[in-house]
Amino acid sequence: MQPVDRYLKNISQLLPADRRDDILRELSDDIESEVEDKQSELDRPLTGAEQLELLKRRGTPLHVAAGYTQNKGVLAFGPQLIGPVLFPFYVRVLLFNIGLTLLVLGTVFAALSLSGQPVHTKEFFSNVLFQIFIQLTAVTVIFLLVEKHFSGQPHEWNKQDFEKTLHTAIEKRVKEKIYKKMREVSRFDSIAVFIATAVALVWMQSIWTQPFLIFGPAASQIALAPVWHRIYFPTVLILLATMFRASINIARPRWIRFRDVASTILDFAGLAILYTLLFAGTWIVPASPAAANPNSRHLFSVVNEWAFYGLWIAVAIHLAQTIKNLIRLYKNWRWGPTSQG
Amino acid sequence: MTSSSDNANLFENLKLELRRGSLVLAVLGCLRSEQYGYTLRKALADRRTDIEEGTLYPLLRRLETQGLLRSEWREADKRNKRFYRLSPLGAEVLEKLLAEWKSIDSSLNEILKG
Repeated sequence: MQPVDRYLKNISQLLPADRRDDILRELSDDIESEVEDKQSELDRPLTGAEQLELLKRRGTPLHVAAGYTQNKGVLAFGPQLIGPVLFPFYVRVLLFNIGLTLLVLGTVFAALSLSGQPVHTKEFFSNVLFQIFIQLTAVTVIFLLVEKHFSGQPHEWNKQDFEKTLHTAIEKRVKEKIYKKMREVSRFDSIAVFIATAVALVWMQSIWTQPFLIFGPAASQIALAPVWHRIYFPTVLILLATMFRASINIARPRWIRFRDVASTILDFAGLAILYTLLFAGTWIVPASPAAANPNSRHLFSVVNEWAFYGLWIAVAIHLAQTIKNLIRLYKNWRWGPTSQG
Repeated sequence: MTSSSDNANLFENLKLELRRGSLVLAVLGCLRSEQYGYTLRKALADRRTDIEEGTLYPLLRRLETQGLLRSEWREADKRNKRFYRLSPLGAEVLEKLLAEWKSIDSSLNEILKG
């Protein structure tokens, strides 16, 4: 990808989706107008360095995109760490992760309470705070890295053929990509998928080795049923394959068909795992024979019932996602040659 | 104790604040005649009102959303360009803002004369 092409592409990833094409068209026209103007003023074509300077003066993609973003806050401790463009994404991911954690912990504690088990407030809050701390740290560090990435200028601006590149790239970007809608896998989306999957993988590994992270104080009494052991390895493989798919699309955003086919295969693999889980019947078992007393029977029954409904919801969401991806695969397959650029 | 760089920063911030409001007036004033982004930026720069692209274009969109400007994509110089012009509401608001500007200007002149 050429420097201007990448410059506009980086900006486009950070722009509000509903106004993206319109803003890019105007930015492209502004760059081209400025180049033409300067050339007619000097009565000679601009040198590569001059054109490079022109783009650099406009600011980093993050700086340009920030102007079009409604400022919903920033993260700053002295210097700004996460700017207004990424901040809404940061808050969304953080809330999702923390919400999910609270939901799981809340379910466990509610089940404990409903089954008449002793529930200690101190234990509950220490679990919640520990989880929030982990999520906050992990998500913040990841977003700091993303912010750093988008704050940099593209590295390859010092090319000899920059002058030629500028016109070609604008022409290509405006005529092919913008007028016919950009048909590339958003690098930002790929990064987001990579991050989300990595967090999911780490979380899964953590709860596997330390069940108290998900069951809290009930970990001494309840354990995951054998079905979870059966689906563990395939799930790890799916998560790794998803990260691999996202990495490929970060490097090769034009590989739309690869993204579509890989996503669909992974969707079906995910459905197979959910199917296995759904019909297992039991998802939580006593951690030890001692825990299988009549008093805790009610606890297992409540948790298993809730897990059943939770799995049906997961199946519905996953199925909707699979259908959506299948439709996308069909459409892109039909318009394949143009979508591959 | 403040250093000279702190003072310079303070001045820059105050200057930015001062300019922010007047930029809207300058843009609305310039758009009494139809222009596209780049020519508007040049027209402002020629009158010693430099404005970055990163500030101008979002400002134009905000003013359009507020109903003060109208825009349309049209071909000019063999390229599609987005032309902006003042809307009737924009013209009305501009008149009121200019009156306000003149009133502030005369008040300030009186104050500064001491």
